[in-house]
Amino acid sequence: MQPDDLSRHLAPILGDRLIAVEPFPETAGRVRFRREGALDLFRAMRDDLGFRHFSTVAGIDWVDHREAVYVLWSDDAKQYVLLSVDLPAGDPRIESASGIWPSANWHEREAWEMVDLNFDHHPDLRHLLMPDGYTFHPLLRSFKLHEPEELEVKARHV
Amino acid sequence: MSGATLFSVSFDIGSAILRGIASVFPMPESGWITNPDVILGLSAVIFAAILLAASMLNTILLIWWERKLLGRIMDRRGAMHVGYAGLLQNFADGLKLFRKNTVQPREADSLGFYSGPVTYMVTSLIIFGILPISSGWNGGALPLTLLLALAIFSFAPLFIFVSAWSSNNKYSLMGGMRSAAQMIAYEVPILLAVVAVVIVSGSFDLTTIVYEQQNYWFWGPLFVALIVFVAGMLAEMERIPFDLPEAEAELVEGWNTEYGGMLFAFFMLADYLRALIGSILVVLLFLGGWTLPTWVPSGLTTFPLAGIFWFMVKTYAVFGLFVWIRASLPRVRTDQLLRVGWNRMIPLSLLAVFLAAVLVTVKCLPVFGCVPSAGGM
Amino acid sequence: MSEMWINMGPQHPMTHGLWNLRVKLDGEIVVDVDPEIGYLHRGIEKISEDRHYNEVITLMDRCCYVAGFSWEHLYILAAEEALHLAPPERAEYLRVLCDEFQRIGSHLMWYAAFVQDIGLMSPFLYGMRDRDLVLDLYQSYTGARMTYEYMRVGGVRNDLPPGFSAEARQVLDWLSRRFDEYDQLTLGSDIFRKRCDNLGILKANDCVAHGVTGPMLRSAGVKRDLRKDRPYSAYDRVEFDVAVADGADVTARYLVRLEEMRQAVRILRQVLDWLDKNPGPVMAEELPRWLGAPYAPIGREGYLLKRNFPKGVGFSAVEEPHGEAVAYVVNEGGEHPYRVKFRSPVFSNISAARKYLIGYHVADIPPIMGSVDICIGEVDR
Repeated sequence: MQPDDLSRHLAPILGDRLIAVEPFPETAGRVRFRREGALDLFRAMRDDLGFRHFSTVAGIDWVDHREAVYVLWSDDAKQYVLLSVDLPAGDPRIESASGIWPSANWHEREAWEMVDLNFDHHPDLRHLLMPDGYTFHPLLRSFKLHEPEELEVKARHV
Repeated sequence: MSGATLFSVSFDIGSAILRGIASVFPMPESGWITNPDVILGLSAVIFAAILLAASMLNTILLIWWERKLLGRIMDRRGAMHVGYAGLLQNFADGLKLFRKNTVQPREADSLGFYSGPVTYMVTSLIIFGILPISSGWNGGALPLTLLLALAIFSFAPLFIFVSAWSSNNKYSLMGGMRSAAQMIAYEVPILLAVVAVVIVSGSFDLTTIVYEQQNYWFWGPLFVALIVFVAGMLAEMERIPFDLPEAEAELVEGWNTEYGGMLFAFFMLADYLRALIGSILVVLLFLGGWTLPTWVPSGLTTFPLAGIFWFMVKTYAVFGLFVWIRASLPRVRTDQLLRVGWNRMIPLSLLAVFLAAVLVTVKCLPVFGCVPSAGGM
Repeated sequence: MSEMWINMGPQHPMTHGLWNLRVKLDGEIVVDVDPEIGYLHRGIEKISEDRHYNEVITLMDRCCYVAGFSWEHLYILAAEEALHLAPPERAEYLRVLCDEFQRIGSHLMWYAAFVQDIGLMSPFLYGMRDRDLVLDLYQSYTGARMTYEYMRVGGVRNDLPPGFSAEARQVLDWLSRRFDEYDQLTLGSDIFRKRCDNLGILKANDCVAHGVTGPMLRSAGVKRDLRKDRPYSAYDRVEFDVAVADGADVTARYLVRLEEMRQAVRILRQVLDWLDKNPGPVMAEELPRWLGAPYAPIGREGYLLKRNFPKGVGFSAVEEPHGEAVAYVVNEGGEHPYRVKFRSPVFSNISAARKYLIGYHVADIPPIMGSVDICIGEVDR
């Protein structure tokens, strides 16, 4: 599957919500899209293009905005594809993919607590790696290492 | 066999002590010191002390034997450093446990928490008082020693459950419930297997049972009963493959999760005491006790304490079998264990009883040979 | 007994690492589970942002303590793509050698822990004993038994020592005989089959939907193996079969892992043959010394960037012993990676716990979780 195939298939579904499909080495390409088209894109990727395996979602903090990179795999094409979406730093909201791929559940929880991406309609957006009540998002560039922070960490209650 | 018996030895020691006291503190001829009750009481205490020391020593030796054998099967050496070939390792471990703090969980019930291990250990020790070790080396010729031993042996689930419940820990409670269920389920087949032995030997007295085997050990003709008894004993001793009550993979340490220090050592020792008792019972009931077959050269049976020697050899060999099983089998699941217990073991033990009855009626079977005189039936 | 929640972990013999499985029990039946992770979270992704490209390799070894080579490989592939570097061919073969030895080592560790979970005591020691031989081999060419720091951006640190090939072949011969013994000890036991057959079933559809990968996925009959489907390094130049089973239960996962070890032996023999015949450099020649030095000086100055790499993004995926691992490395032109993201296979495998645990006995939890092969270091990162 080539980037052209992807854009040919996705353009009619997403319209202007699809920004571009760029070639990316060793994958089927990188699909850049606007967040309004998230659910339609996810559904098209899974049902029409056969990307049934949700590998992970990576949140990247570019200071002025944030980026979410979804990694999907297709057993038929034996290829990865990357989906990239830019989110404003002030309002980093995007539809959750966990309704499409159940495996997105934990990956989105991680992306939320690490990079502060807010996933709408996520069934269970709790802290995963960090303790409950932790208010920081460690993988933001504004979170500096080697600086003692006053952390108030609530012990987990059973 | 030597003429000395355990009781005569303790009587001799007791009277020697009293004579010594009398020579140091002279007192009238009619004083308390010549009272026969005093001598008898003192000899009974010494008798118990000897038994306690011997059983504890053997238990600790048994642990060493298990560690070494297990180590060899697992391609390693086991304990090596304290004493010759690690013989003293268990004493070192015991000393360590002795020095450790005993921590009682805050919500635990003190009475049950502390009385559980003690009663568990004490009931296990009592059995040694009635087990015959060699001719004359027993606590007294009671007519129903076998029944008494098994009755005391089956107290254990009660104390285990008490200590598990009073630890106030979910793992302990589940381990205790499993332990109770398992021991009750396997109590029945064990008793039925014993019934088979009793039918053939015609006695509930362990000494008589041993002497009934002088011509032919019971393991051959009562092979089914032996299988049932050994499997049941494995369950009673809570050893792999039936160690579910303390299945460490899911229940941490089962019913003794909350115990540490000396209380844990009590449980540990009592477990091995029970393993020792189980092995001894197998030897007594099926392997001819301290006797050897008649075709064995007499030199092997006439040296001093030969009976005790051969008895120990057999006991440790039987325990070695348990260790071998432990080293090579995985653990079964609770429901599987209980299903096997109720659905397989009980019919099998009934079959063993039936076979024993046939044997007694027919006297001689082509493969198994003849049964000795089948006394009393 | 009424229903109750119990905590299996964070210190519990079942966990094989530091995590907590909250289990709701009805008597002995599991009615609900809730895995809790994060006890071992060290912020490796965050620390990487403050480190030079080669310094991150140190962290990769700590990602998974039984599969350090695979994680190094994963990161190296992504970093090389981000930095636009290519390793020499011999380094690629050496990496495959590391990976496959690692697979054997990791699976032996899994075997030892797994049989211990169902109460088999001796094979635990046999697995550890044979793993030690593999660790000795690592030690002979990396100097370490667990944290190797062997791979470098642009190649590997050093070549194999003389005589390694013969020694390795001896170990392989020994191991391939042992695998049959393992099978006898487990599959040959009725109790083992009773415990493990039809246990922890996770069908292919559920596996794919929940992102379960690796031996768990292949045990459900899905023939996905990144070494075959998307060959990296020298995997397109060696012959091997993808181990598949169709039981989707604990026994099937056992069979897949054992078969993978046998295939790894097969791959290793080919790799050793190639390495014997083709001597050559193990580092990319055009690399500045700081990036490829066998004994790079420690400290910031030693690593000063002498050359500006153009910006780039690296993406790599590796078939780790536990499953599919993915790395995403963003290079913004500085000395440090701008962002590093790793996808751990066990992370997803644990997240599907509700699917394969509910309905079984509490005594089944250790074998099922054992068959998942959990490595908490890479889950929490």
